[in-house]
Amino acid sequence: MMALLIVSVSCSDEFLEVTPTGSLSDASVSTKDGIEALLIGTYAAVNGVFGNRFEGPNHWATGSIMGGEANKGTDAGDYTSLNPIQRYETDPTNGDLNSLWRGRYEGVSRANKVLAALAAATDVPAADATRIEGEARTLRAHFYFDLKKHFNSIPYFDETVLAADIPSIPNSPDVWSQIEADFRWAYDNMPAVTSAGRVNKWAAAAYLAKAHLYQKEYAEAKTIFDDVIANGVTSNGLAYQLLDNYPQIYNAENDNHAESVFDVESANNTGNVQNANAFDDLNYPYNTGPDGPGNCCGFFQPSFELANSFRTSGGLPLLDGSYNDPANAVDNDFGLESDDPFTEDAGPLDPRIDWSIGRRGIPYLDWIEHPGKAWIRSQPYAGPYSPKKYIYYRSQENTFTDGSSWTRGYATMNYTIIRFADVLLMAAEAEIEAGSLEQARTYVNMVRARAANPDYWVKEYDDPNQNAANYDIAEYTAVDFGDKAKATEIVRFERKLELSGEGHRFFDLVRWGVAADVLNDYLDHEAQFLVTKFGGANFTAGKSEFYPIPQAQIDIQGSDVLTQNPGY
Amino acid sequence: MIMNQRNDYHASKITGKLFYSLGFLSMLICFGTQAVFANPENNPDEVTNTIFQVTVSGTVRDSFGTPLPGANVLVQGTTTGTQTDFDGNYTINADSGATLVFSYLGFVTQTIPVDGRSTIDVTMAEDSQALDEVVVTGYTTETKRETTAAVSIVKAEELAAIPSGNVEQQLQGRVAGVTVLTNGQPGTTSQIRIRGFNALGGNAPLYVVDGVPVENTDFLNPDDIETTTVLKDAAAASIYGARAANGVVVYTTKQGSRNKKTEITLNVNSGITDPNVAGSPRMLNPQDMATWTHIAYENNAAANGTPVQYSHPQYGNQPTPRFPDFLHANGANGVFEDDVNLAAIRAAYEADPENVFLIRPNLKGTNWYKEITRPAPIFRATLGINGGNERGRFYFGFSGQEQDGIVLSQQFKRYAARFNSEWDITPWLAVGQNFQATYRSARAIFGGNGGVDVADDESEVLSAYRMPTIIPVFDEFGSYASTRAAGFNNPRNPVRRLVKNQGNDETYGIGGFGNVYLNLKPVEGLLIRSSLGGAYNNGHFVNYDFRYLGDSEPEASNAFQEGSSYNFQWVFTNSATYEKLFGKHKIKLFGGIEALNTGRGRFINGRGINPFSTSLDFQNLNVVQSPTVNSGQFKGVNFFSVFGKLDYNWDEKYYVTGVLRRDGSSRFGANSRYGTFPALSGAWRVIAEPFMQDQNFFSDLKIRGGWGEMGNSNNVAPDNQYSLYASDLGNTFYPIDGQNSGANQGFAQSRIGNPDAKWETSTTTNIGFDASFWDNHLEIILDWWQKETEDLLFQVPLAGVTGNFAAAPAVNVASMENKGVDFQVITRGNFTEDLSFEFTFNNSFLTNEITSLAPGIDFINGPGYRGINPIRNSVGNPISSFFGYKVIGYFNSQAEVDSSPPQDGKGLGRFRYEDVNGDGAITPDDRTFLGSAVPDYTGGATLLFRYKNLEFETYWYASLGNEIFNMSKWFTDFFGTFEGSAKGEVAKRSWTPELGNSAAAPIWESASNISTSGAENSWYVEDGSFLRLQRLAFAYSFDPNLLDSWGLSRFKIGISANNLWTITNYSGLDPVVAGPDTNFGIDVGNFPVTPQYLVSLELGL
Repeated sequence: MMALLIVSVSCSDEFLEVTPTGSLSDASVSTKDGIEALLIGTYAAVNGVFGNRFEGPNHWATGSIMGGEANKGTDAGDYTSLNPIQRYETDPTNGDLNSLWRGRYEGVSRANKVLAALAAATDVPAADATRIEGEARTLRAHFYFDLKKHFNSIPYFDETVLAADIPSIPNSPDVWSQIEADFRWAYDNMPAVTSAGRVNKWAAAAYLAKAHLYQKEYAEAKTIFDDVIANGVTSNGLAYQLLDNYPQIYNAENDNHAESVFDVESANNTGNVQNANAFDDLNYPYNTGPDGPGNCCGFFQPSFELANSFRTSGGLPLLDGSYNDPANAVDNDFGLESDDPFTEDAGPLDPRIDWSIGRRGIPYLDWIEHPGKAWIRSQPYAGPYSPKKYIYYRSQENTFTDGSSWTRGYATMNYTIIRFADVLLMAAEAEIEAGSLEQARTYVNMVRARAANPDYWVKEYDDPNQNAANYDIAEYTAVDFGDKAKATEIVRFERKLELSGEGHRFFDLVRWGVAADVLNDYLDHEAQFLVTKFGGANFTAGKSEFYPIPQAQIDIQGSDVLTQNPGY
Repeated sequence: MIMNQRNDYHASKITGKLFYSLGFLSMLICFGTQAVFANPENNPDEVTNTIFQVTVSGTVRDSFGTPLPGANVLVQGTTTGTQTDFDGNYTINADSGATLVFSYLGFVTQTIPVDGRSTIDVTMAEDSQALDEVVVTGYTTETKRETTAAVSIVKAEELAAIPSGNVEQQLQGRVAGVTVLTNGQPGTTSQIRIRGFNALGGNAPLYVVDGVPVENTDFLNPDDIETTTVLKDAAAASIYGARAANGVVVYTTKQGSRNKKTEITLNVNSGITDPNVAGSPRMLNPQDMATWTHIAYENNAAANGTPVQYSHPQYGNQPTPRFPDFLHANGANGVFEDDVNLAAIRAAYEADPENVFLIRPNLKGTNWYKEITRPAPIFRATLGINGGNERGRFYFGFSGQEQDGIVLSQQFKRYAARFNSEWDITPWLAVGQNFQATYRSARAIFGGNGGVDVADDESEVLSAYRMPTIIPVFDEFGSYASTRAAGFNNPRNPVRRLVKNQGNDETYGIGGFGNVYLNLKPVEGLLIRSSLGGAYNNGHFVNYDFRYLGDSEPEASNAFQEGSSYNFQWVFTNSATYEKLFGKHKIKLFGGIEALNTGRGRFINGRGINPFSTSLDFQNLNVVQSPTVNSGQFKGVNFFSVFGKLDYNWDEKYYVTGVLRRDGSSRFGANSRYGTFPALSGAWRVIAEPFMQDQNFFSDLKIRGGWGEMGNSNNVAPDNQYSLYASDLGNTFYPIDGQNSGANQGFAQSRIGNPDAKWETSTTTNIGFDASFWDNHLEIILDWWQKETEDLLFQVPLAGVTGNFAAAPAVNVASMENKGVDFQVITRGNFTEDLSFEFTFNNSFLTNEITSLAPGIDFINGPGYRGINPIRNSVGNPISSFFGYKVIGYFNSQAEVDSSPPQDGKGLGRFRYEDVNGDGAITPDDRTFLGSAVPDYTGGATLLFRYKNLEFETYWYASLGNEIFNMSKWFTDFFGTFEGSAKGEVAKRSWTPELGNSAAAPIWESASNISTSGAENSWYVEDGSFLRLQRLAFAYSFDPNLLDSWGLSRFKIGISANNLWTITNYSGLDPVVAGPDTNFGIDVGNFPVTPQYLVSLELGL
């Protein structure tokens, strides 16, 4: 027995080494294959990491709801932490914003890891190394851009900063040059064609131009936009162009189309619905049963203001804001039961309304005619409309959705972070500033012409020749673009119509410097109907343009490192 | 032969070393040896006796003079024996020089020489708290007299009395210093905490069964347990060193006895658990719900200054609500007979039965709690066979327990077979083994950690309170009815979920557990023991979920899931004990070495959706769409330990015990793998002093004191020391080629390693005394203790900028302090010769405080519940403290609204918060501490009366000073939270100008903001103190004489009622609310402990 004791003592050091299971060491991921896998892991962070719907790349809450295109929807008691956000009463302790912050910095951290491993690796062929570096830098710049536009003042660090030093880096608004440098490197060095799911040279270029636009560096932006528009191709090699058929942008069967500059890939049968559009799982009409998509939850209901914006006169929008006047406002079924009689709006409307907003009496994709209140969780609280973009079709159930979780609402269509129409409209802004109003008009009209193709307007189910509403859309004339101010108004309005519900609006309003005016008008308008939701709400200029730095992060890093944004 | 020589060589070398290193010890031994030789009593005079037969008779009584019927009287060394009759009298023939042995269960056995006498009356001393009672500490045993530490023993019958599925539940109130939080699920694990909370996680005690450390004891059949010892302080527990910081519960199973005739026992418990429907929270009936919906609309309009809109799809648009004939008729909601074509709907139903519903209102109101519950039968039977001869002993136990939960589909089953035996091979060598084979299945147990965390979840019990009473369980076609009927928001029919989704599920484990050991006694006083133990478990589960389209948020798919796992753990212990008396010096030297693995194994499970047929016979992983498989392996943690203990006493007056243990664990990196944990304790048996001999006040007095260190590593992941990269289907996979189906594998850092983590250390100080008064009529055991845990391991939240996907490393930073007093009072006596009583009262006082967290970190917030964040673990406060706004009333007038500090969402009838920091505005900085889930006091009291053969027992349990965060009120007490779902009767006491601050809830309205349902505040925090009548029992033991004629040795029948009555101010279902360490006491949907009625039978043959 004593011998045994001695034997066991001498063996004990070995005995107490138990190697981990199911994971890899640093060394095993620092090879070419390992780095490629780390890069895939970095892409995986684009649609969020911590399972919070706020982390979605489409910014349905922080971009669209806050931009006045939609409200939370549903009822007051559901997802209550969104209530103060839609009223611009966000406080720094909000956990959703903390998830967004952590999710994006996780992306930064993964991109940095790729770059650090790449610098150390010896077995990566030069061409692959360039592509990998370009992808990682584009993704890193994307994450930082996202952080910048939400929080404005953020800590910046690259792969050379030691992990231990990162928490002591203070936040600063001056991070554009670093973001630009990454996009620039990728633009200058990356191949044009990578693979359908990746970024490429032209995605980096478009994003770089967007970064310049955000800084009002119009000349720099224009140069790059020109190159993108003239020469750009998608990462799978298709020359950039607008699709003929507007709703095909939002159809999973048509993913990776010629209009997608930077896509988030989405897929089913991956073993986890996070790879489908988990961030959008609540954003469907409510209580549809098998007649409609999703099962849940009636979030993300388009606003009255957005619906009214589609009113046209002579085929053009009412740029003077009169679309909200009672005479022009779109007739809706607010206050009506589904079995109460309702007459659909007969006035002229931009056809994109019925690809963007679910409203009573209009065919809801290939499901049924929107029945009105029956599909709305709480009409008095959130209004009469349902979301309609990025909604899957009945024919796609279980083939382009992932049915393996609690709701059917995991669609597998890619969300397009930057699409070619967006590029054209951003370029139009740059052109206006450069004085080339005519070129701006050309871009805007390209976008409008596509929407004006009557072949693709929403038709009644019982008559494929009968439009579902009175659609009327025209192109702008040179007279309309007669002066810079009006041209600017037109381009901005076109962005609203074309890109509604795609998460851009709030950030556009802020960078244009008009957020307080536009959003306070929006609140006043909506509060007439949605009293409980918006009564007394107010956008505070100088504060509400940016989100608060999450209090949880200040608590960890210290208020001497992270400075809270003004007003919070 | 050669091997032996080598062994001997090593042995002598080691022994020599040991001696030199323990100089003090060798001195004691030398001194002791001299004393032995000097003792003249070692040479007794020889006595010659003349031997003749006598008839001896007498009466056997207990210390109170009560006759003991059925006591055994045996002539030592023969098989001649008898039993006392009903009056305690016996008669026996014996040689005049013989010795009689008197024994009786629960009393100290006495041996009395006949010495030619013909009358011998005997007074038996109670054994239950007797000084010679054996305390099993796992590695060794000692007597109660010798103990210098804080140790409690639980009687086997107390553990077995209430047939819970998990024996640990029965420690509640039975041991001073042990807190037990449990719930009503059969077979659930419970939150057991010995002397407070030492760490920020992993506070479960160490369980040791027959020398084998285990994570849980749910496999044990309480009827198989012989002794249960709770080691509370370092002096007792530190022999378990690195794993003892949370206390140790040591179980030994029944062993049989040598030289005893084989006995067969049968124990049966059978009864029923009542769901206590009458005690369930009151929900609004359909009429009231409609009325209060309209009141809410009126309040909304008043708050917004708009006209009232009565807009509920069922109740109509007039001020007086109406009820439709159908809540739902194939798509139409709130319709009347005249508008409904029943034939057409029936036809539609027949064409598509899954999707067509016809729901009439249940105007009488559905009591959903009643619908999801049932009276649940419980049955346990154990057949035990034990016995032994001069060369060995054995125990066989066969048991079965079947228990339904009060909630539909919950079911617990355990069948166990136990074989324990020990046999001498030679006089100096014995081999023994303990083995148990167990089948255990627990169906539909909700909540994490084996059910402990159920109160934290939105469970089916909560669903029962969210489902409107107007909805019937079934629709007109016999389908389950639900919220497809518009206007009731999103609750799901919990009956359907329980019956369909849980009813066919199966979860079971089959395991073997036990040890084999060798006891070697080479010389007198030396025992060398080698034990090899382990457990192997294999489990499988099958889980069916069914598509259902009748909810407003329907369950989309039929889903099927199944999985298997196995787990193997082992422990190898070698120890030696040397015990010797040198005159008045007694020493006991113990040393050991142990290696163990906490369990290695693999698991695999798969899931998929929408099989062609939902027949249970059809479904498997081959016939589902989108099958996905998960699998994994784990290796467990290896521990290696060396330990020693020295007990010394002089003349049974002065006692000293020293313990030293050194542990290594694979959880830690090579730099800091080992921890050394010493303990020192002493006792003074004052009663043994000469000056105590001439008094009758004290019958025993012992003063004890101890200090020691213990370790803990529970709260550390086994791979904490490594930096790792891993794949995660949801978070690192990406369809990089643009595909719509399937994704490519990616990696991300999954763990940041900390090779320097080391053991948490608890330093315990314990001072106590054991005192008995008036001939043991009153016993008091009191311990004052303090426990400071340092180097607490926890995962300090990493700054988000560093990337939070990777698990943060556990680092040694925080510290925690627990202080308390445990005291036990036992008093016994008799009113008349036939009527005696015994009263046992266990009390524990506890304070807990987090004394530091990481540098620069003052608090860690707990998880959020629907946007409510009730928990803050913070320096200077107890663990799991509630944090939020302090409600100082409601806004009772518009003037009050206008004049109060700015507060988001403030309005008439809403919560008015205290401006805690006095800055003139209500902001998140005004949140403050609102209480804690840690009780100040827990205690149990048992009162036992015996009248002749009749026994009456009542047992009470109390917990005082703990708060509960009643999160379920968020769902039921605000109109606006999931508007339309069921609400509580509290609506009728919601704010009105008349009620003012005496209202039970804010104004009944739709709004949700931080002044209503949108913030954590003191309104949710309730006093969780309670006193519970836990047991009321009658038992009757049949007369031994009668039993003799039936050929039985024991026959006892009993009836009992458990959990009969609870006195509490808590408004929820049950004030016992467990949960994870850093956020327990949050009641989202607890499964209550409810009354239980049992009959029991104990039969001996």
